[in-house]
Amino acid sequence: MKNIKAIIILLSPFLVAWFALFFGAYGVSPFMVIKILLNESFHIFDVGESAEKAIIIDIRLPRVLLAGIVGAALSCSGVTLQGIFRNPLVDPFILGISAGAAFGCAITIGFLSFLPLQFTAFIFGVTAVIIAYGVARIQGEISRLQLILAGIIVSAFFTAMVSIVKFLVDPHKLQNIIYWLMGSFSLADWRAVKVASIGFFAGVIPIFLMRWRLNVMSMGEDEAKVLGVNVKRERLLFIGFSTFAVAVATSLCGIIGWVGLIVPHLVRMLIGPDHRSLVPLSISAGAAFMIAADTVSRTLTSFDIPVGIITALTGAPFFIYLMKRGGKEAWVK
Amino acid sequence: MLSIKNLHFKQKDSKEEILKGISFDAQRGNITTILGPNGSGKTTLFKCIAGLWEPLKGEILFDGNSIVKLSFRKRAKIFAVVPQEHEPPFAYSVIDVVLMGRAGHIGIFSMPGKKDYEIAKEALKIVEIEHLSERAYTQISGGERQLTLIARALAQETPVMLLDEPTSHLDFRNQINILKKIKEIATKKGLIVLMTLHDPNLASLFSDKVVVINSGTKIAEGRPEEIISEELIRRVYNVEVIISKINEKSIIYPVI
Repeated sequence: MKNIKAIIILLSPFLVAWFALFFGAYGVSPFMVIKILLNESFHIFDVGESAEKAIIIDIRLPRVLLAGIVGAALSCSGVTLQGIFRNPLVDPFILGISAGAAFGCAITIGFLSFLPLQFTAFIFGVTAVIIAYGVARIQGEISRLQLILAGIIVSAFFTAMVSIVKFLVDPHKLQNIIYWLMGSFSLADWRAVKVASIGFFAGVIPIFLMRWRLNVMSMGEDEAKVLGVNVKRERLLFIGFSTFAVAVATSLCGIIGWVGLIVPHLVRMLIGPDHRSLVPLSISAGAAFMIAADTVSRTLTSFDIPVGIITALTGAPFFIYLMKRGGKEAWVK
Repeated sequence: MLSIKNLHFKQKDSKEEILKGISFDAQRGNITTILGPNGSGKTTLFKCIAGLWEPLKGEILFDGNSIVKLSFRKRAKIFAVVPQEHEPPFAYSVIDVVLMGRAGHIGIFSMPGKKDYEIAKEALKIVEIEHLSERAYTQISGGERQLTLIARALAQETPVMLLDEPTSHLDFRNQINILKKIKEIATKKGLIVLMTLHDPNLASLFSDKVVVINSGTKIAEGRPEEIISEELIRRVYNVEVIISKINEKSIIYPVI
């Protein structure tokens, strides 16, 4: 039973992506999508230079791929942070990593355009999570509630810093910052897909390889230590890799919250908490969720609604549900 | 042999030492129990030996080699620590918890392999809870959780096992059950078992050696039937007791 669920979750991003490719303002038949994709990769069918091909290959495919990679990165980062902080209610958004990364991007767009966006996003993302962790860690222990409160404080601080940048920057650049901050895949192109892939390989793959350690780390600092884990070093590695993945994602499509919280939870409910399967399945479910959310955001109205709004609309009620349900579970204590 | 030599400890921001020079030995195949009332320093002593807190002064020797400065990875090959029974935030299966005992043997980028599974299953067999292997660790009883943690310590394959009040959250039957199991494992595997207890009766029933501490100093050390006296209990616990012998074991009976 578990295996069947796992296979369905692993295949879900491909199915959702296929759906996302033929669904939209300009209708393309589901078979035509497959034909065009096969032609593009293996040159089996000759579909010519049609408008359909241009829409699929130049517009929808990069957008779907970008959404998938970003969703996978955010979800992987969420499951990692939940594991190392032993706290099922955190994700990169709640811990302030997204806000820190957004601030890094905003000052780069506004003033330091010679620096790569991803670099400053990473620096401030790491700064944010380390501050949140430092504030919450009192006398060697971190309480679950305090970590969330610390994350809210850090998030508020960096959001205010972004506002200062918006206030000071020249109006022409301001437009760029505002549009990008809303969290959207509408600017997706093949260059963005390439950058996202780099973030994915450098951030997500190492976490995937180290995933069993998350089981041990989630038992608590002292216990992991006596089991032979170099907690300080490994925690830093996990924070570094997951923050890098989030920083790259944020630099490409702004702040998209809640994905890193919802997806690992759903997967944990379905297949259990063992990170050996939880991490890879969260990665693929995150990709599927984000592609689906983005498809909704671009087809719901005649406008392209920022996808961050869609994820927040699903995420906030889910968070409330978890808090209520959590009353019965161990991690609330 | 595990030797603790003149161990001192104090908290960073405090002036008073919590441990004021404690020394004792623990032998292979024996259970050595650190006995003391709450606040006597036995938890501190336990944490210093486990390597979680760094002692101010003194030495901890295993077979003559100092282990105070060892890395956690190397230390995990000498000491297996059984913490007090607790609930983790995620509902891992029992076998997954036992497998964690292999962390010190497995590289950071690897997963437990076939051999690790066999060792974990063998450990579950020794504590006789193989039937719980797939159950969620959060949904078994406190006694079963304690046995799971002991199995995890066995899976670590170390010569020394440290247990922090292994009976503290358990009912009467489970207390006896756990301690019997620990005694059996210590004898069969020739392990050095060092544990803390606060109940002098349990200490007297199951230990080969008792180290009595109070206010951070060692009060007495030796075989329980030789050292546990009415006078000692009065001094350490401030309780009037009568001690009688049943089957050559001292039974401590509080006067009420």
